[in-house]
Amino acid sequence: MDTVLLQAIINGLLLGGVYAAYSAGFSLIFGVMGVVNLAHGELIMLGAFTSYWMFVYLNMDPYVTTPFAMVFLFVFGYLLQKYIINRVIEQPHIMSYILTFGIHLMVANLALKFWTHDFRSITTAYSGMNAAFWGLNVPLSRLITFCLALLIIAALWFFLARTETGRAIRATSMDKEVARLMGVNIREIYAITFGIGAAITGLAGASISPFVIIFPEMGLGYTIIAFCVVVLGGMGYMPGALWGGLILGVAQSLTATYLSAGISVAITFLILFFMLIFRPTGIVGKGLAA
Amino acid sequence: MKHDRSMKRFWVFFILASVAVSLFPLIVTSEYSVRIATIVLLWIGMAGCWNLMSGYTGYIDFGPVVYFGLGSYATAISMTKYGALFFPSVILAGVVAALMALPIGISTLRLKGAYFAIATFAFAETMKQVSLEFDRTFGVTFFEGSHGITLPLSGHSNEFFFYCVLAVTFVIVLLHYSIEHSKFGYGLKAIHEAEPAAEIAGVNTTGLKLRAYVTSAFFLGLLGGIEAYWITYITPTDVFNVQKTVQMVIMTLLGGMGTFLGPIVGASCLTLLSEYLGATFVEDYMILVGAIIIVIILIMPNGIVGTIKERKGIRFI
Repeated sequence: MDTVLLQAIINGLLLGGVYAAYSAGFSLIFGVMGVVNLAHGELIMLGAFTSYWMFVYLNMDPYVTTPFAMVFLFVFGYLLQKYIINRVIEQPHIMSYILTFGIHLMVANLALKFWTHDFRSITTAYSGMNAAFWGLNVPLSRLITFCLALLIIAALWFFLARTETGRAIRATSMDKEVARLMGVNIREIYAITFGIGAAITGLAGASISPFVIIFPEMGLGYTIIAFCVVVLGGMGYMPGALWGGLILGVAQSLTATYLSAGISVAITFLILFFMLIFRPTGIVGKGLAA
Repeated sequence: MKHDRSMKRFWVFFILASVAVSLFPLIVTSEYSVRIATIVLLWIGMAGCWNLMSGYTGYIDFGPVVYFGLGSYATAISMTKYGALFFPSVILAGVVAALMALPIGISTLRLKGAYFAIATFAFAETMKQVSLEFDRTFGVTFFEGSHGITLPLSGHSNEFFFYCVLAVTFVIVLLHYSIEHSKFGYGLKAIHEAEPAAEIAGVNTTGLKLRAYVTSAFFLGLLGGIEAYWITYITPTDVFNVQKTVQMVIMTLLGGMGTFLGPIVGASCLTLLSEYLGATFVEDYMILVGAIIIVIILIMPNGIVGTIKERKGIRFI
């Protein structure tokens, strides 16, 4: 195989890992509550900004800041669900899309007001460093984030499968009425689920901060990618985020290499559109059907 | 018959209102007021189109802007590339939008809830990217990419566009009325309430949804065409802007989804608010819009018109 193709695939896989990292939370929130969280990108933005401000004022390494972003966003997500989204959770789902869209507008524009339009980036000692072999380049920070993504999804899977709270979350997503009868406090579980979803998203946002441009309006683009990833992998099916992310990453990287970067975005949406029509349960077929 | 009386009242009210609106440009003298009035009417029409489909059926379309954009492009391309006149171009815009809506509607309307919303959104974004990148990728000049297309200068006054938009919006509003009192409308509402039950009761749900979808696409195409000629310069990021979708949704929601007066009330309130705030405090306006959405959803999910209807039992029609 020629190096260009191989390099494109490597880039695609690394990109896909990043996609998977910030889409897992979206899938979790949808799977458990049926909420399509249109403010998802804002969680990433807040995570990235947490990392950025800690880097600027405390001179902390962006990867060291990830636990802080995680805690901050857990609290943010928990409160958001507990005091706002829970109030419409029993109503038709459309209410929750529009509500989260309102939250998206508010958070993004408040951030814009306080942090201005400036494009920011974090430059560390190791940014731009590559692991080079056989004429191929592997950017270091992307590799770290890729590994972190695998770790996030594994930890999330472990949490859902093996802990008491995880069991309650799974029970709620299967049948909330029966779960309620079994003594599960549904609203509390919803708040915790949103908190966890927000926390891993914030962690992902902080961990991509060394190599992306950080600005208040960055969120919407990430929300859209998360959509695509989660639909590809299967809505609500956690390991699906990994499949979806990797497939989308490779597809985008290949089209960007051989066609053009602009068309690769169009391809993303075409894939999304046709997946929804022909295979709404995702590539592996384990997602929730409509 | 109560129905007859309310119908008569409606027609009196409607004719008086339309006469008042159509006299507007003759009464005011400033060009600015005419422009604002045109913008308000344009948004009433667009929000109305969204309401026709999503408001009545409850299928949340997150990509209506695609038909507006297609209309703009159909008009711009037929006028600049083929030298067509304005009116045939605008009709063509509506037809192109409706023809496009047919296959898209057939494929996406089988999806439910979030899946329908995401699919329509994905389609709108696809069309935006295609019109941005088509020329560069295939080495042709058709959509003109991000340069956009400059339409021939119209030389028409603002009043001309005011009446064009008024005519289309007028038809959309009339359609709302006829929907509220037709089998078609009851069918749409039945889909909203309980689709499986409606299907069992013999309502051709897919057919009705498709009719509503294509109708709303046709009128959005017309409005897109008129706006393109009015503004005289279009780019993909402008005419396919997701912000337009958002405005349509929010205006309808603010006014009241699935009500006749909803889009009119919502579009008027928000356009005037954005004229007042948006020009000077863009961010404040967006924060406020976000806050309005949250408050509406939490406190009065039926919108202004729906809430008043519920509280006072007033019948507007």
